[in-house]
Amino acid sequence: MNIAVMVKVLPDDQDIVVTADRKLDASKAKPVVSTYDLNAIEAAALLAADTGAATTAIVAGPASVDDSKTKKNILSRGIDALAMAADDALADMDARQTAQALAAMVNQADGIDLVICGDGSADLYAQQVDVQLAEALGWPSLNGVTAITAGDGTVTVERVLENERETVTLPLPAVLSVSPDIAVPRIAGMKDILAAGKKPVTMYAAGDLGELAPAAVEVIDVSAPEPAARKKELFDAAQDGELDAFVAALKGAL
Amino acid sequence: MDFKITDEQELMLDNLREFCAREITEERIQKWYKDRRVEPEVCKAYLDAGFGYLFLPEEYGGIPSDAVTLALVVEELMRCTGATMSFMSYGLAMFDLAEFGSPEQVKMGMEAYQKTGEQCFSLALSEPGAGSDNMSMTATVHWNDDGTCVLNGTKTMVSHAETAPFIMFIGKDEDPSHDNKSMSMFLIPKDAEGVKMAPLHKIGQTITNFDEIYFDNVVVPQDMLLGKKGEGFKQLMKNFELERIMLAAHSLGLAQAALEDAARYAAQRMTFGKPLYMHQLIQEKLTDMETTVQNMRNLLYKTAWEFDQGMSVRLDSALCKRYLSSMCTKVASDAMQIFGGIGYTTECRIGRIWEDCRGDSFAGGTEEIMVHIAGRQVVKKYAADLL
Repeated sequence: MNIAVMVKVLPDDQDIVVTADRKLDASKAKPVVSTYDLNAIEAAALLAADTGAATTAIVAGPASVDDSKTKKNILSRGIDALAMAADDALADMDARQTAQALAAMVNQADGIDLVICGDGSADLYAQQVDVQLAEALGWPSLNGVTAITAGDGTVTVERVLENERETVTLPLPAVLSVSPDIAVPRIAGMKDILAAGKKPVTMYAAGDLGELAPAAVEVIDVSAPEPAARKKELFDAAQDGELDAFVAALKGAL
Repeated sequence: MDFKITDEQELMLDNLREFCAREITEERIQKWYKDRRVEPEVCKAYLDAGFGYLFLPEEYGGIPSDAVTLALVVEELMRCTGATMSFMSYGLAMFDLAEFGSPEQVKMGMEAYQKTGEQCFSLALSEPGAGSDNMSMTATVHWNDDGTCVLNGTKTMVSHAETAPFIMFIGKDEDPSHDNKSMSMFLIPKDAEGVKMAPLHKIGQTITNFDEIYFDNVVVPQDMLLGKKGEGFKQLMKNFELERIMLAAHSLGLAQAALEDAARYAAQRMTFGKPLYMHQLIQEKLTDMETTVQNMRNLLYKTAWEFDQGMSVRLDSALCKRYLSSMCTKVASDAMQIFGGIGYTTECRIGRIWEDCRGDSFAGGTEEIMVHIAGRQVVKKYAADLL
């Protein structure tokens, strides 16, 4: 079996600066792996360890994602190979464009049986790419997966729903997005870190992925919230009428 | 001049921080200080993550490394935890064993190390009458004709004695007199007949158990000899310079933790209507602490880099060990002063950091011994033609 895990590389939110006009300046932020994709990587690595499958991480984004430390970070986590499209023409893609770019790379990787996505991206968290990727590939898809077991040409997955645990078997190829609690990301061992730099990396340009559809979503503005001073209103529930005042204050704030 | 670290070193430090966040809580640290040991499963997790394999030969699962990487790991481990994580040195101890031990001894040691992640031997070197002055040791090795040896003597300040399954014993061959330079080392089981131990209670670094060990006519087979007969002390000296770099990194990490704690406290504590850090006397302290810590870091990593280049660090490793061990206590003391009275309680960790820093003035060679080494090297460096 060949497993592909979709990974988003984005600016480290700890390094993003809010400017005086409330814009977000990520120009000095280091690239990092999107948090939820670390769970997806771990799920792929554990499944591969169980089945002997080969694993490839697939990344598409602006030129800034081509960061040697980030690539080694991905490859130190039980992943065999990396395919990366790093091109400023791929900056600010919406979910559909991202799904198309990733689908092109999955198809070029040849022989992929199972695609694993994270729960959502750590910046936008739209939770759209997995289903749109499945649509682009023409494969079945399930989200919220908490366990994966490989069968003969199938995978059986568990999903925890509100009142029940669902077990579903899908034919391969398929696309899954995994819940964050499917697996705790490993602490990569020193040997894995040292070996990561020697693993195969295939680089793509935007032109290698075919023409992407126009953006379906237009971003008008991204701004930080208006800073507001804390009101520090205290209500003493032991005093008559204070609870009513508390409820009224809540309603006023909402 | 390049202060950049490699991708691999950055990733290693990221993972070390994650390891500390997952495995080492302040509550656990306090328990370990009371118990005089770190729980073996945490030592094992540290080893399995690869940090405990740095410097060990690859045939034993080791990871080729350098002194800069080792110093980075030790500094960050101390900074993250604000505590003396005793497992920082276990890999280096195994490195010593791998250098001098027979293949059977190394295999035996590695099996014990890999089973629990804890140091597999304690080093029984110092004696009640011979600390820095090792040549005054009186422990003896008597060589019998029947293929056995008899070990006698009292060893003190033996770290890890209660937790390590083996003891690395060093004694004078036959004659305990001061002028006898022939010493031999043995790797013997802790439970050998005639071995007894009693705990010593330190005021700091209590996370590492510390004992006096009595060897009363301990009969061992001669194949427990470690390395060459009569050359025990020379063997022991061989890796002292790397050990000094590691201990200096320990001092630096604790000083950095103290500085960060003090700065954060000064930013929050209000006095006389304004944050503590807005008072000039506190600003001066923080400024001097930062200057000192930066000096410590520069000296440490320059020395580690020289070591990695194959340059002699006889002088610089002694300067480094002395400067960093004395300065970490000063930085921790200033940090405690910034905390005020609460810093002198167990309500915050600054007191523990100060106690641990103070111990660095003795561990791995006293500051005075470092002067003894460095002073002569300074004259050789600048006035060799006059000697």
